[in-house]
Amino acid sequence: MGTPGHGKFERRARPLLGTIVDIGVRVDGAACAPIDAAFAEIVALECLLSRFDAASDIARFNALPAGASLAPSNATLEVVRVAQALFISSSGLFDISTGTAPEGWACRDDQLHKLDSRTVLDLGGIGKGYAIDRAIDRLIEQGATAGWVNAGGDLRVFGDVELPIALRDESSGGSRAFASLADGAFATSHYGAGARSRLAGAEPGALCRHGAVHVSVAAPTCLWADALTKVVALSGDTSHPLLARHDALAWLH
Amino acid sequence: MRVSLAASALAVSAAAPASAFAIDYMNIEQAAKLMFPDAETFDARDVTLDAAQLQQLDAQGIKGRSAHWSVTAARRGGSTLGFVVFDEVVGKVELISYAVGIALDGSVRQIEILAYRESHGFEVRLPAWRKQFVGKGAGSAIKVGEDIANISGATLSCTHVTDGVRRIVAVVAAARRGGALV
Repeated sequence: MGTPGHGKFERRARPLLGTIVDIGVRVDGAACAPIDAAFAEIVALECLLSRFDAASDIARFNALPAGASLAPSNATLEVVRVAQALFISSSGLFDISTGTAPEGWACRDDQLHKLDSRTVLDLGGIGKGYAIDRAIDRLIEQGATAGWVNAGGDLRVFGDVELPIALRDESSGGSRAFASLADGAFATSHYGAGARSRLAGAEPGALCRHGAVHVSVAAPTCLWADALTKVVALSGDTSHPLLARHDALAWLH
Repeated sequence: MRVSLAASALAVSAAAPASAFAIDYMNIEQAAKLMFPDAETFDARDVTLDAAQLQQLDAQGIKGRSAHWSVTAARRGGSTLGFVVFDEVVGKVELISYAVGIALDGSVRQIEILAYRESHGFEVRLPAWRKQFVGKGAGSAIKVGEDIANISGATLSCTHVTDGVRRIVAVVAAARRGGALV
């Protein structure tokens, strides 16, 4: 089994998805094309999924009046359908309306329908993971045999490579070894004072009872690693049934 | 999927020492070639903004930060293809260096992170720390090894980079209006 220390990797980073996205691929041919294609995929998805981009599907949906609908891109439909299913299977814990009006939207017949004018969708809990999965698809399609995509801590690795994962101390800097990961995805959310991540609804009381401020989830794909950190954070349950259903593992720390 | 926890993983807040880490992606020359692969020469120029130009930036809501900038023009034959500007920004616990490629119409063509230095927050602001990092990269670009390859639990903020890119776009536009860049 390879480790990042074995073999050469081409590695680049760009500011995307509100963080720094680091992509590495094993060099065994022309490595540039796969990385370019993966970055291009992330740029395209960010334009569709970010609620901060006024032209995105999500921003346009948020601007709709109640009763109106729009036909989003296939990528948006894919993410929103997963979110819709996860809202139900998590008994409402996972909510892309972030508490504004969870029942105020619906996805039917390839259309996004706005039922309640208060509904504001935000794919922050799932979109980054989805974009990482799609970027990995591009790397593989373009002939990369091993590599990773890491968007500020949400990451996925494929091929014969094992990545060390370190956790950063958000308050004072520095990082500590946490795990190594091969052929899968890993996502961490930080909910301490001053953290950017916010949980919709109540304070994460479940987390506080554990004295924990981080939730990490390992899963086969990054969409699920990303989304399930929110379920674990809100339930405080590292044995939540959804984890096993998606072959995922979770830690509070 | 294979996950193995490090020995210290579940005792994160205990005695495990925190370590800083650093990643070098590429140097300025490599970034310039990546952004303008058709260029034959790269011509670095020092650009100094005068007081009036700095005031104009202020009026646009952009802090000029410095009057002195190095702007590299990408050229092919007698014509200019665009510009590359190198910059670095300090975050809470990191120093990020990056390059911005600017097309002839003034738009951003590409942004590449050149290096990332994470520290415990204070070293990064010391001149010696900055010096050790400026200009580094040629031999040590793209290294993945014992140094920590990936971090998690960190929301690597790119806010400062985004602000820096806006500033560079404005600086290059001001310098071109002033005739300092052709």
